Amino acid sequence: MTSVIELGPHQLALEEPMYFRVKLEGDRVAGLDVQPGQVHRGMEHLVMRRNLYQNITLLERLCSLCSNSHPSTFCSAIEEVAGVAIPERAEYLRAVADEIKRIASHLFCCAVQANLIGQTALFRRAMEVREIMQRSKEAIYGNRMDLAANCIGGVRYDLTPDAAMYLARQMEAMKAPLDELYLQFQNNPAIMARTAGVGVLPRLEAIECAVVGPVARACGIDYDVRKKSPYGAYDRLEFSTSLQQAGDVRARNLVRLAEARQSVSLIEQCLAGLVPGPLCADLLPEIPAGEAVAKSEAPRGELVYYLRTDGTDFPLRLKWRVPSYMNWDALKVMLHGEPVANIPLIVNSIDPCIACTDR
Amino acid sequence: MTTLIDEVAALLAAAAGEETVATWRRDRKGVLTGWCRLSSADSLEAIGRAIASIQGRLSMVTAYLTEKAREKGGREIAYHFDLDGATLTLTVPLPLEGAQVPSLTPIFRNCDWHERELMELYEIQVVGHPDPRRLFLADSVPDAPFERLIPYSTFTNGAAGKALWEKVLAAKEKP
Repeated sequence: MTSVIELGPHQLALEEPMYFRVKLEGDRVAGLDVQPGQVHRGMEHLVMRRNLYQNITLLERLCSLCSNSHPSTFCSAIEEVAGVAIPERAEYLRAVADEIKRIASHLFCCAVQANLIGQTALFRRAMEVREIMQRSKEAIYGNRMDLAANCIGGVRYDLTPDAAMYLARQMEAMKAPLDELYLQFQNNPAIMARTAGVGVLPRLEAIECAVVGPVARACGIDYDVRKKSPYGAYDRLEFSTSLQQAGDVRARNLVRLAEARQSVSLIEQCLAGLVPGPLCADLLPEIPAGEAVAKSEAPRGELVYYLRTDGTDFPLRLKWRVPSYMNWDALKVMLHGEPVANIPLIVNSIDPCIACTDR
Repeated sequence: MTTLIDEVAALLAAAAGEETVATWRRDRKGVLTGWCRLSSADSLEAIGRAIASIQGRLSMVTAYLTEKAREKGGREIAYHFDLDGATLTLTVPLPLEGAQVPSLTPIFRNCDWHERELMELYEIQVVGHPDPRRLFLADSVPDAPFERLIPYSTFTNGAAGKALWEKVLAAKEKP
């Protein structure tokens, strides 16, 4: 029997509004129509009515979980147009901010999924571990979500020797819990029963849908912007791309947890390499007429910014594409043939960001 | 990476003629960005297929209408492609009135939302799109809101604002 149901954020445990029209054959998913736009704020229009400096503040408020990726990538685009090289110390500090956000974002995603499969203790544990990151953010940046770390030509925060030592201790405190969470998601039979072989995205279809980030890497697609198009400090940092082959919910979470563990190492490398020096250029650079593309690896994957300027302070056009924008379509493949009960878990396994998608 | 530049040059020349040339920039980290202006949208499909043949990935589509371009009677769309870390941007000039581009969705499945979004924000027709419905905007919002002034209350359907004012007016009427 064919039927059509509509699912909203309350049924899907999403903290943001997104609607799905799901076609069912019996209790199995046979078709999907994603209906975005509930939080469309016309932000691409708003950015053209603000100057480049004001836009750093506005873009940080685009979304919460990847809030640092937007201003840092936007600043990279401006710096590319202006021909500005940011100081080495600033490159490391930008990477520190990005990696702190990545760990917190990945843990949040894994925690929500643990909750969805009834693993309340694991949910609490993941959020408890994430709290170490939240407190680190609050201590260093004065805020638990928006870090306000970036400015054109560098960063607007510094790590004093005390703050660097504090962060190093916090990173040390993350290691054992992150390893333990990885083992839980990898081997715990109760979790595997709900996540292994569920919501599978085969590699060829992943390439066809052009998915990015952990969703792609869980299908064996070896693509990480930090490796493929190095920016900031990443050309000097040692890390490998986290890969899985199964393309299921479990594989996506294992990629995230491996990446979170690697981010701890990246932050430690940044702290070790933190050379003394300026945090940003002395003077605000002239922004000439020009165009640039800047990319970064946000927690959810490749983030792309295109900036076009005409020599004034206002962008002629500023366009960005967030990783989630690419990943929604793959849900049609992941959900096909799955029971209704698995829909919330599979939707959350792509770690969707709706405020980012709608803009 | 020079092989990539040569490969793209050969593909562009074969798909759109010898005069279609990309210029490349390499940033401080060695990341390549290529920039190419097409003379019209006629060769877009052929170039799209050529880029797909070397495993290029559609990364983003940027439609825009600047004041200067509007005065000259033109507009542009920039198509950004990822070539294993390098980014190639193809800029297509279009007329202000009756702008049309062929859909790239049959070649790049992920072009779907990009094209649906630009169709609802700008007066550009995407020919051959398999599913040309509105993406983000409600059907009640007028076409091409990025090209004209639309009051914010109309844009957001005015539901919240209307409910608020009804409350305010009702409170005023009370003795």
